[in-house]
Amino acid sequence: MADFSLIAQALDQGDRDKTVALTEAALGSGANPQEIIAQGLQAGMAAVGEKFSSGEYFLPDMLMAARAMKAALEVLAPALEQTGIPTIGKVVIGTVEGDMHDIGKNVVATFLSGNGFEVFDLGLNVPAQKFIDEVKEKKADILGMSALLTTTMPVMGRVIKGLEEAGLRSSVKVVVGGAPVTQDYANYIGADGYAHDGGRAVPVCRELIGK
Amino acid sequence: MTHKQQILAAARGGKLDKLPFGARIDVWYNYHSAHGTLPDKYQGWSQTDILRDQGAGAQARFFAVTREEYRDMEVVETNDPPYITTEYHTPFGNVAKKELFDSSEGPWIRYEMEKLFKSEKDYPVLKYVMEHTEPADNFEAFNKLREEVGEDGMVMTAAGGLWSPVQRVMREIIGYEQFFYELADRPARVEELIEAVKDLERRKLQVGIECDLEIFNICANWSDDIQTPVFRRYFVPWFQEVSEFLHSYGRLVMAHTDGEMRRLNPLFRETGIDIAEAITPAPQTLVSMREFREQLGDEVTIWGGIPSILFEPMYNDDDFDNYIKNMFREMAPGYRFIVGMGDNLPFDGDINRVGRVVELIDKYGRLPIEV
Repeated sequence: MADFSLIAQALDQGDRDKTVALTEAALGSGANPQEIIAQGLQAGMAAVGEKFSSGEYFLPDMLMAARAMKAALEVLAPALEQTGIPTIGKVVIGTVEGDMHDIGKNVVATFLSGNGFEVFDLGLNVPAQKFIDEVKEKKADILGMSALLTTTMPVMGRVIKGLEEAGLRSSVKVVVGGAPVTQDYANYIGADGYAHDGGRAVPVCRELIGK
Repeated sequence: MTHKQQILAAARGGKLDKLPFGARIDVWYNYHSAHGTLPDKYQGWSQTDILRDQGAGAQARFFAVTREEYRDMEVVETNDPPYITTEYHTPFGNVAKKELFDSSEGPWIRYEMEKLFKSEKDYPVLKYVMEHTEPADNFEAFNKLREEVGEDGMVMTAAGGLWSPVQRVMREIIGYEQFFYELADRPARVEELIEAVKDLERRKLQVGIECDLEIFNICANWSDDIQTPVFRRYFVPWFQEVSEFLHSYGRLVMAHTDGEMRRLNPLFRETGIDIAEAITPAPQTLVSMREFREQLGDEVTIWGGIPSILFEPMYNDDDFDNYIKNMFREMAPGYRFIVGMGDNLPFDGDINRVGRVVELIDKYGRLPIEV
């Protein structure tokens, strides 16, 4: 029987080759791909997230783990063709219009994806209406917006107002982040959640949708 | 003393009778100038004149006192606003980048929409580009701005670019995420490129030192994202080298440290850098001003302290005043401290709060501050 903890450990170490090899071995031994994901890959990503939040790990540690996760999921993809990769919620994410910064947003998107969310990354410089349209079309559980500039922060509030006007506000939780954004500011514009860093984004999103 | 004299005296550890204030308003100014929404009183005014009117010292920005010239390669720049595409044609092959530049929304730096580095085959080309780039002086343009600001503040600038060499490779040439993947997969190639960029920066410093600017900015936009282990290994030795060089000419060394600094602060003291500028405390980051002072020590001059968000309408005048008064208490006795923004007046901030800081300094910022 496959030892899923070894997969989690390899991923925790950001070792892409080892994570892929162990995933292939587990799959070859007949392990259920959904269990490989839940008990191996997602368990490893959860550990990385906790270590980042506690200060033991840094952003690049998360990136290396996410890269290993992505490679392992590619190994599992054929076996998941029928069922698809299990998701715990849909997230539409992007950097707001006028803002060209995407490091933080990319890390959050990668990490949410690695923790079982289905992520639709709209990229950077995303117009307010695009966010609203995508939330509607994808039936998103969560909208994540990022802004690195004080000049672009207010766009997040305008998107929230736009969601209200489109009658979508009650169906989606809004999470905001980015260097100048604070919990107070998130409250001020009527967001549901605020994540100070990539590690916090996952528990905040899980909590908001009760998963 | 003039604003400039006060700022320089504080940075050199002098004993002043009140806190100096170097304010930065270019984001606010660029935005409102471009949109025609400057307050009526300030229509047609320069940034420096607005700051003079508010009673604050100016902190103007200039990119660098050197510019780049190229030899034995063809460099083609195509300007298609707001995009600028730059192609480098070398005997080893070509590389290109695409940048966006539009200061009408406030910030004045270029954003790389397409990085120079695309794949492993680009390393020799990039190394060639760095080796065949020559710095030339850009003193005339710098001096023009410095004359405009005069004794009413400082023009902050660098010998080379905005970034230190490793940061340039990380953020500008390769890109943040790819940099760490490359560093894991091909460390020797990345380190070779870093060395080529360092060598170019050394040549820029040799040119830049001929300019009589007092403070050299050697790195910008510090944050936890430049990661402590990488910072220790690659950044710190470079800062030590540059600080030693600039100190040998009697110049001050500054870093623009406006991000989340909680894990980088302990390493700052190893760098030899004199001024931590644009210090941004809680609520915008996780570090209080008291913690900044404790962690950076008494030898480092802290310039900053007012997070941009405090200028936003969500904070009322009482909130603002209370924050400033508390900041003074946290920084007591107040030496080696220059009041400033972390890092700018936001576009929807109240310009009159700049003047309010001046009033609060007059009332509560007399040195030494007694708690």
